[in-house]
Amino acid sequence: MAAILEASDLIKSYGVTHALAGVTLDVQAGEALAIMGASGSGKSTLLHVLAGILTPDAGQVSLHTQRGTVSVGALNDGARSALRRDAFGFVFQQGLLIPELTAVENAALPLMLKGVARQEAEQRAGQWLASLGLAGLEQRRIGQLSGGQAQRVAVARAQVIEPLVVFADEPTGALDSATSAEVMDALIGSTTGRGRTLVVVTHDESIAARCTRVVRLRDGRIVETRSHVGGMDYIQTPAQGDRR
Amino acid sequence: MTTLTVARLLARPAASGRATLALPIVAFGISTALLLTTLAGAMSFFRWHDGNAFTYQALAIFASALLLVPLASLGGSAARLSARRRDDRLATLRLLGATTGFVGRLTVLESMALAVAGALGGVVLYLALTPLVALIPFRGAPIGAGALLLNPLIVLAVVVGVGLLAGVSAAIGLRGVVVSPLGVRTRQSAPHSHWVRVLVAVAVLAAVVFCVANPSILGGVLTVIIVLAAAFAAANAVLGLVGPFVIRRFAASGLRRATTPQRLIAARSVLESPKAAWRQVSGVSMTTFIAVFAGTALAMIGAVSGERADRDELILLDDVRTGVFITLAISFVMVACSVGVSQASAILDRRDLYVSLDRLGMPVKTMDAARVRAVLSPLRIVTVGSAVTAVIIVLPLAGVALVLAPLSLLTIAASIAGGILVVWLGLLATSPVLRRALSEPIVMME
Repeated sequence: MAAILEASDLIKSYGVTHALAGVTLDVQAGEALAIMGASGSGKSTLLHVLAGILTPDAGQVSLHTQRGTVSVGALNDGARSALRRDAFGFVFQQGLLIPELTAVENAALPLMLKGVARQEAEQRAGQWLASLGLAGLEQRRIGQLSGGQAQRVAVARAQVIEPLVVFADEPTGALDSATSAEVMDALIGSTTGRGRTLVVVTHDESIAARCTRVVRLRDGRIVETRSHVGGMDYIQTPAQGDRR
Repeated sequence: MTTLTVARLLARPAASGRATLALPIVAFGISTALLLTTLAGAMSFFRWHDGNAFTYQALAIFASALLLVPLASLGGSAARLSARRRDDRLATLRLLGATTGFVGRLTVLESMALAVAGALGGVVLYLALTPLVALIPFRGAPIGAGALLLNPLIVLAVVVGVGLLAGVSAAIGLRGVVVSPLGVRTRQSAPHSHWVRVLVAVAVLAAVVFCVANPSILGGVLTVIIVLAAAFAAANAVLGLVGPFVIRRFAASGLRRATTPQRLIAARSVLESPKAAWRQVSGVSMTTFIAVFAGTALAMIGAVSGERADRDELILLDDVRTGVFITLAISFVMVACSVGVSQASAILDRRDLYVSLDRLGMPVKTMDAARVRAVLSPLRIVTVGSAVTAVIIVLPLAGVALVLAPLSLLTIAASIAGGILVVWLGLLATSPVLRRALSEPIVMME
């Protein structure tokens, strides 16, 4: 697999607190990468920097596409916004869908932002909703859906533009375990299941176990990388190097 | 005692807490200052006892009637604002097991405290404005600060009244939280405006037109003036009754035709709460309403001035002109205040959502465009509707010639344009609030 995202020596501070203290990380195309760590370890900050939501104080993030390499940190606000709109999908913990819009309108919104006609956008969004088990619920407002259903609408919204990378920040943090499993099925099936890349921040070991690679952060540094390949776990720590 | 303790805890500023507390206080403060200034101005005319005094007093009652309904509406908006800004935390308390009575007491107490704080600020603002207002000339001389100082008991009554209005409004507004906290938190269904409102509005409007067209059946001159003033206030209130219904109809049509994200979001936002959409633009509805009367009055003054040269009458006509402009100016201030406060509040309420849309890559100008459209679309409907309603009422009183006189039409057009400009400026003024909310995203150290 080739790296689709490369981050090197990322440093990000909030005042005197170092959220990222020199993180270097490659995200491989088609993998599901889990970022884990205790509260305050810097995992959400890392996801935001990788996605171009935040710019690092030092270090850089490169996105490799078929059309060339983009230095994410060097882009201005507008260009990073366009990059997120065109190349990335997002799933947040609370869904953060627009409550006034229906499920299909929420899912169609990223396409409309790219200039796709409303009818076509809603048709494509409807297909995604159906593939995620939400057929028949397209015209419901978000408040009329269960937490799991709303989160699957968020997954559809992330997938509808067919992004290069989907970023998920605690996507099941507000759900019970059974619903979490359903949402993760939908998320993993619709990304790596279709050859796309998923980067997910989570506290949940069971979710991390479903990913192909897990990196653990502590105090803004990667302290462990665990890969799951061919039924075997490979663990790498900065101090010990590779081990099985 | 427990209620007071929890109220004190909730009063501590949270992440967006300062604005949560400040916005309702500012809104109550401006409402109170305008109310006191209007009252002081009107009551200053009652120190005269000569032959012309009654005309001035009647006109003061008339202008006050035109302004009191929208003033009460602005005060009500401030009350709802203070209640709504707290309902999430109150709903959480309810979910944690707080009793209905406890949540009710807390709600009323909090809203009343904010209202009284704002009202006291409003008293200070009223006193600060008095020297300026005192310079306005009536009957050939400035009003004078002394004539504008209200009896302290009246000031106290206004402060208490504002507090009570806030308490009652909070109690009514939060019934939803008490009855069904989950319903409020998840916004399950969009409210619907009933068509019966239109029937009631038509009936009230017909009664108003009847009163205006047949003043002789009402009895003495004073009764006629009071009934007419009440009738105009009622007509203004009718606009509030029917406005949300009409806005909802147009928004539904806009939704079907929406082709861009901003049009889609704007139409859905209006449909989410046509009442809230109405409240944002109701100030311009009132300005338009007043403008039709003002325009006709100015045309009438122009016609009468041309015919007569009596000094007292010319002074009276000049004073009526001054009164018209003051009434319009106060209404513009109310509009600007209402739009600014409600828009800033709306942005803060939806901060998390705006941040998430920014992360999805939605350009800020698209978010702003949706916000502006959600206000300006109803505004267009409201101005036309208000102007038509006012013309229906004025026609039997003044006749077609005066209503359609160039000066009248010019005043109406200028007032409508001014109202729309004020709303647009209010929206522009709150754009930095949105940009600041996006530039300070929720920092997650995780």
